[in-house]
Amino acid sequence: MTIQTILQKLVENGIISGRQTTLIADYELKKPFSIHWELRSVLYIGILLFSAGTGIIIYENIDTIGHQAIIAIIATLTVACFFYVSKHSLPYSHDEVKSPVKLADFVLLLGCTTFLALEGYLQFQYNVFGTRYGLAIIIPTIVFFFCAYRFDHKGALSMAITGLASWLGLTIAPMSIFENDFTEGRLLVTAVILGSMLVGFGWVSEVKKVKKHFAFTYMFLGGNLSCIASLIGLFSQDLKIVYFVIGLGLTCFFVLRARHQQSLIFLLMGVIYGYIIITYSLFTLLGDEAAFLLSSVYFMASSVGVIIFLLKFKKFLGIKNEKSI
Amino acid sequence: MKKAYNETWVENLYILRKASKWLEKGLLSTAQMDELKISFPEQFYRPGIFVKIGLFFFGTIACSFFVGFASIFFLEGGSGQSFSVLSIICSASFFFFLEYVIKNRNLFHSGVDNALLYAAASCAVAPLFLLFEDAPLSVYLIISLLVLIPATLRYADLLAAAVSFFLLFTLLANLMMKFPLGKALLPFSLMILAALVYFWVKRNKDVYYLDCQKVLEVLSLVTFYLGGNYFVVREGNASLNALNLRVSPQIAFSSIFYTFTTLIPILYITFGFKKHNRILLIIGMLTLAFSIYTYRHYFSPLTVSQELIFVGVMLIVVAAAAIRYLHVPKHGLSDEKEEERQFANLEAILVAQSLGQTPQENGIEFGGGNFGGGGAGEVY
Repeated sequence: MTIQTILQKLVENGIISGRQTTLIADYELKKPFSIHWELRSVLYIGILLFSAGTGIIIYENIDTIGHQAIIAIIATLTVACFFYVSKHSLPYSHDEVKSPVKLADFVLLLGCTTFLALEGYLQFQYNVFGTRYGLAIIIPTIVFFFCAYRFDHKGALSMAITGLASWLGLTIAPMSIFENDFTEGRLLVTAVILGSMLVGFGWVSEVKKVKKHFAFTYMFLGGNLSCIASLIGLFSQDLKIVYFVIGLGLTCFFVLRARHQQSLIFLLMGVIYGYIIITYSLFTLLGDEAAFLLSSVYFMASSVGVIIFLLKFKKFLGIKNEKSI
Repeated sequence: MKKAYNETWVENLYILRKASKWLEKGLLSTAQMDELKISFPEQFYRPGIFVKIGLFFFGTIACSFFVGFASIFFLEGGSGQSFSVLSIICSASFFFFLEYVIKNRNLFHSGVDNALLYAAASCAVAPLFLLFEDAPLSVYLIISLLVLIPATLRYADLLAAAVSFFLLFTLLANLMMKFPLGKALLPFSLMILAALVYFWVKRNKDVYYLDCQKVLEVLSLVTFYLGGNYFVVREGNASLNALNLRVSPQIAFSSIFYTFTTLIPILYITFGFKKHNRILLIIGMLTLAFSIYTYRHYFSPLTVSQELIFVGVMLIVVAAAAIRYLHVPKHGLSDEKEEERQFANLEAILVAQSLGQTPQENGIEFGGGNFGGGGAGEVY
């Protein structure tokens, strides 16, 4: 189907006039070919390769260059980044603030990364923090939280949350959650509590309208952590009922949230985690033999049930609006 | 092949998408857009990507446990024959469900129908494999193609199209390998078939297959390039002839392959710009990168770090110059953002994944090598 046939159809249906047809056809013929994302990708791959190359060269020649020089370079870069960002920033507001300068977001992220590198370098070479590792982690965390709110940057926020989690000995990045050693009961409890608190904090920032676009980051990172931790708690710990209640509470919260929030990723999270929790608990209650007998019927019926729910979730949750991601 | 999804709706969907672009540019009025929506209705159930993932996930579970459930009645004997019967019955029921949900629930590549189609096709192929035990590979390939190609034509499924493409080329390679001359001509035959597939799908005017067409275009362009790539041919030649040498030997007609390796990416990029074809352009850039890799693999005088810096600087200069040059659209090219990023929220999470690893307690993560600035490039 070409543009011409579409335009013809529109004319036949009396929607557009002949003059408009020529306008649109003209636009389609002459519209420029945007290579915006291609150019950006090339640029960023270039930066990536260049910094990797420089990194290797510095690493190879560290004896000739000297540590002080390198630290000085990284420190200058960090200061320059933060200076640039603060110079171009708008005043703080509870609402979303879009930076007027295109590059500012990227520079802030660069500054945060070099700040981490700088601190790591100082500790590695000069043992600045000694054995006070907690201090070494909480300093960048505080800096990142400040940057996230001051300059309105979700990337800095998620770096800050990651820092906060690792201050408590946890890894929160979604793909690395299973690197945590959840056999240790204390860590598991910490994970559940931290995750739930992050979810709660995200919810509060949404309700109180303080940077409410940050809610997604808080809830996604926190929600994944606490859901997975309560799943593992449910599987391996004695106080199953506690983890069951917490996990199910969170999943219900996520499913119901789909009513308010456009993003349906929480609906998916809620459904999948909830399904695992309910299935596991049901099978534990029934015992192994009954569970084995029932398994194929159960899984078939329940997954069809979930499918029907997902097909009609708008009706079930009373969502009216059409648009959703 | 009769199409499974409502063709008029697919076309209307396409018209509405085009029209909404025109609306954005102010070529249509909102009133006209509303009129359009009434004149060109579509009722497909198209949930967001995450609901689709959930539907696919649970669809797959349901299908596999359906097979498990049905097997209770069939696997008493446990022979190959009863397995075949089971497979055919499952396949038939999956196809039946598939048609049912498409007709009655108005699904349109929404996860459940994808899962059902894959389950049905797998179950349809399985008994034939049992039937032709110990047959040559080509027989299996042909059987699978006989199921997949009609399925692609009817359901316009992307994965089915891609797998058919892959099977077709495996079949060709398999046939060519049987003759000594065929081995030598393998790269050329792959290229010819890829070119044929490309120009054949290019002729498609049907909106129904638009996405399949794109997938096949990408695959055939990549295959055409790889068939002529010097690195692939040289290393492939060495491994096909089971030469366990440390350095694979020079190949016959090497100059032809040098030419292909250099010219194909340039041609792709040139035509990409000329025809405003994004697929050609992007594949051209990627293949160019692979050509550069091929060159350095055999001839590079530089060390890895020097190469990284050199290539990095080149890319930065070219991109920055182009961005500056295209400040105002020129030669039919522009640097304007066409579509907003859909997943900006998730990109922030990626930052946490890739950059946010604060120093670990044991201090191993501290280190001279952590020049993390470049990592930022991945996300922004």
